[in-house]
Amino acid sequence: MTYDFILYLAINTAIVLVTAPLFVSLIKKVKAWTQGRQGPSVFQTYYTIAKLLKKEVIYAPTSSRIMRVTPLVNMAAVLVAALFVPLVFVPEPAFGIGNIILFLYLLALARFFMALAGLDAGSSFGGMGSSREMSLSAIIEPTTIIVFAALAFVFKTLNIFDMFAHSVASGAITTPILILIGISLFIILIVETSRIPVDNPETHLELTMIHEGMILEQSGRNLALMELSAAVKLTLLMALLVNLILPFGLITTLTLTGLLIAAVLFIVKGVVLAGVIGLFESSMAKMRFFQLPSLFAMAFFFSTLIIIIEVFA
Amino acid sequence: MEAGLFLIAVGLLAAGFIIPLVLSGRDMRIVRILALSCTILASLFLGLVSAFILFGGDALAFTAYQPFYGFSLSFVIDRLAAFFLLIIAAVSACVSLYATEYGEHLGGESRRNLFAGCINLFILAMVLVVSSANTLSFFFFWELMAASSFILVMYEYDRPETRKAGIFYFIMTQLSTLFVLFGILALSAQTGSFAFSAAGSVATPLLVVAFLSLFVGFSIKGGIIPFHKWLPYAHPASPTPVSALMSGVMLKIAVYGLVRFLLDVFSPDLWWGILILLCGSLSAVLGVIYALKEHDIKGMLAYSSIENIGIIFMGIGLFVIFSVTGLPLLATMSLLGALFHSLNHALFKSLLFLSAGSVVHATHTRDIEQMGGLARRMPWTSALFFTGAVAIAALPPLNGFASEILIYIAIFSSITVVAPLLKVLLLVCLALFALTSALSAACFVKAFGSVFLALPRSAESAGAEEVPPAMLIGPGILALACIFLGLCAYQLFLLAGFSVPLPDMLFVGLLLLLMTVLIGIFLYFFASRAERTCETWGCGTPFQQASAEYTGHGFSEPLDIIFSSIYRTRIRNERVFFDQKNCIFREGTAEIRLMKVFEEYLYLPLARFAVRTATRISRFQNGCLDTYLLYVFITVIAVLLFLGWF
Repeated sequence: MTYDFILYLAINTAIVLVTAPLFVSLIKKVKAWTQGRQGPSVFQTYYTIAKLLKKEVIYAPTSSRIMRVTPLVNMAAVLVAALFVPLVFVPEPAFGIGNIILFLYLLALARFFMALAGLDAGSSFGGMGSSREMSLSAIIEPTTIIVFAALAFVFKTLNIFDMFAHSVASGAITTPILILIGISLFIILIVETSRIPVDNPETHLELTMIHEGMILEQSGRNLALMELSAAVKLTLLMALLVNLILPFGLITTLTLTGLLIAAVLFIVKGVVLAGVIGLFESSMAKMRFFQLPSLFAMAFFFSTLIIIIEVFA
Repeated sequence: MEAGLFLIAVGLLAAGFIIPLVLSGRDMRIVRILALSCTILASLFLGLVSAFILFGGDALAFTAYQPFYGFSLSFVIDRLAAFFLLIIAAVSACVSLYATEYGEHLGGESRRNLFAGCINLFILAMVLVVSSANTLSFFFFWELMAASSFILVMYEYDRPETRKAGIFYFIMTQLSTLFVLFGILALSAQTGSFAFSAAGSVATPLLVVAFLSLFVGFSIKGGIIPFHKWLPYAHPASPTPVSALMSGVMLKIAVYGLVRFLLDVFSPDLWWGILILLCGSLSAVLGVIYALKEHDIKGMLAYSSIENIGIIFMGIGLFVIFSVTGLPLLATMSLLGALFHSLNHALFKSLLFLSAGSVVHATHTRDIEQMGGLARRMPWTSALFFTGAVAIAALPPLNGFASEILIYIAIFSSITVVAPLLKVLLLVCLALFALTSALSAACFVKAFGSVFLALPRSAESAGAEEVPPAMLIGPGILALACIFLGLCAYQLFLLAGFSVPLPDMLFVGLLLLLMTVLIGIFLYFFASRAERTCETWGCGTPFQQASAEYTGHGFSEPLDIIFSSIYRTRIRNERVFFDQKNCIFREGTAEIRLMKVFEEYLYLPLARFAVRTATRISRFQNGCLDTYLLYVFITVIAVLLFLGWF
């Protein structure tokens, strides 16, 4: 393990933890603006997490160890997954870090624990959330894997680091295929982070909620971890999208100035994408749950089409 | 030395079969313990032998018995056989350990001696199938394996459901034997010998027939859809150690058979690989979809075995496809994926069956809707089941993930190189594979959630107690093996001499641990440590009720609706109203009927056809002497005519 790689581990984790709450608040802000409201401050998510850390944790008398370890495991899995997506600096891959399939399955690990914790408190809201989350994640999975296969096909590698390095080396020349993949990745981003039209992150109504239902029984520092890990997951998927399509600013050799410029550029790119997500969410209503499979089927055929175009081109 | 160890192990297994048989009249625990310790000891020896051969030793070959020329009972243990011996040894040892305690809680007094003995016979048969050096002895022990497992399935023969399951199993397993026999005979007709030797590189029609019939035979044994129906009948009906052995090991013997014949005997065509791949994909997806619907915990595990055998067959199919299209590296990777998944599935499925058996032992029901809240009542069992669930849901860093990622990587890397049409096929299979593994995560969230979490849903479940230590140690070893194989997969492959592009899971595991520790430290210093226990808010009900919880049925409802066209659930709803506008409801009936698609459209028509044909043929046998004399007369005339003609 090189010195650069250890530095990368530290830098990437730090940046993702610092920027993640910002993007979440930004999306909320954009949504508030489109509704003609002023909205909460862009730093609100930081305040919320700090406040939650100071509160006590409440457990149901029936809850088991699952409830207690889930926030930890969830956060750890998402943080390790965060090491798979370089935000600003792309080192040489080592130990298979950056493997796109492992990345996907680390997120699945977090989801597995979260869904179990949803069932643990014995409330029907949690069960509802878990059931819906596992169902949706199962039927979006073929699309996700096809999109990732398309990525692997285009870049001729399975490693996200190599993809980014390739993207940087070829400059900001965005090919049509890449734009098509970008659209598919955007759909996956919306689904994986529980946003409209799949889920509504703002409501706590049993008819609509999925992700919020699962974490309804979490409180205090545990809730803070759950909120933060959701924010980190959002940032990761955003970074995957922007760094593939707009790779400018990413550095492959470590210098302090380069790092600073890259970090600023990453935040700028992230802010723009957050704005797009906010506008996208505001422009449509939540879909009925059982209409979602047809949306996913559309995304699936769309991404299969990309590969078929690429295969026979 | 290895040959000696192997023979000692075989001898021990035989002793473990004979001792309780001789003492079958006496209901003494010591007899059963003696028999089962023979199994454990034999498993240790077998494990040693296979470890020697796997990590660098030479293949072992010797002839034990030759009754006449052209036929001999000879054994060859090469690396492939050694690998499957390892599977048998690992699972048998843990299952026997578990059975020492579990067997005592079975009914049937001195019959339990036979139970312990037959377990030994069953394991012995499997060991000898794997180490057979020619197809004839392979077949002989294959049949012995089928017969001994049938006896074990029928252990609780006094229950009607066991009898039904037993007959179902018997017919299916005999069909499998029939197909295997036919395949072996067709092969020997082609090559003129019963050896496992290459049968020529040109696929003659006879060879194709031999392959197809062997494939069907192995598919029936392995539970590939549409030949799968015996698994969900036989597994719930048989005692837990038997389910664990059958699901964990016996299904893998079918995999062994397929791989052995593909590697040593046939030189496959491309369409063979496509056939295996498609059958595997279909089994994987349908298996897990049916598992989601199943609420008998052992039935659910049986369906999930169908899914996993499907994944293994996918790996084998990919192996054939890649080796035919000239991609040896990817072919090796797929085969390694399939074999590694066989080992992993053997470990986590027997782990799941054993811990499910403990749960059934504690709650006296197999219906997961009657369980719940067991995580607090059976902490160890729940931890074991949880490890198995994480492993089978293919989540890192456990072993299920390590083998599935090999197959993923093989498909991902092949997409750039194979022919266009093959690419489309592989993409479809890739999507199905992803769907399978995500659905199996959903399935095990449901299973673990309904069985172990929240409030108990029945009095039995509320009064459940942790099982004795012997029923924890066996599965405990399996759970540790699952964790070890998951973390050290990359290193183990290197040690065995294969360089595969696996991510280093040991490093990822360490990272996970490091992150958890860092978060823990952060929380310790910067977060409030106050905790309080308080009732979950139940929308205003005075206290929390189990009936308000989400049930297993409820959990899988969204997927039921999404896949309703596969389940073919029929919902009939008839209502009668008082008025003409259909407003005031008078009475009505509603019925939800789950179609058993394969049973109603495939098995029953075939069975009816067999019965009809048999009835027609049986008319010849009317019990009247005159008729029989007529038959003899006609036969004599026919023979005379035949002889005169030629």
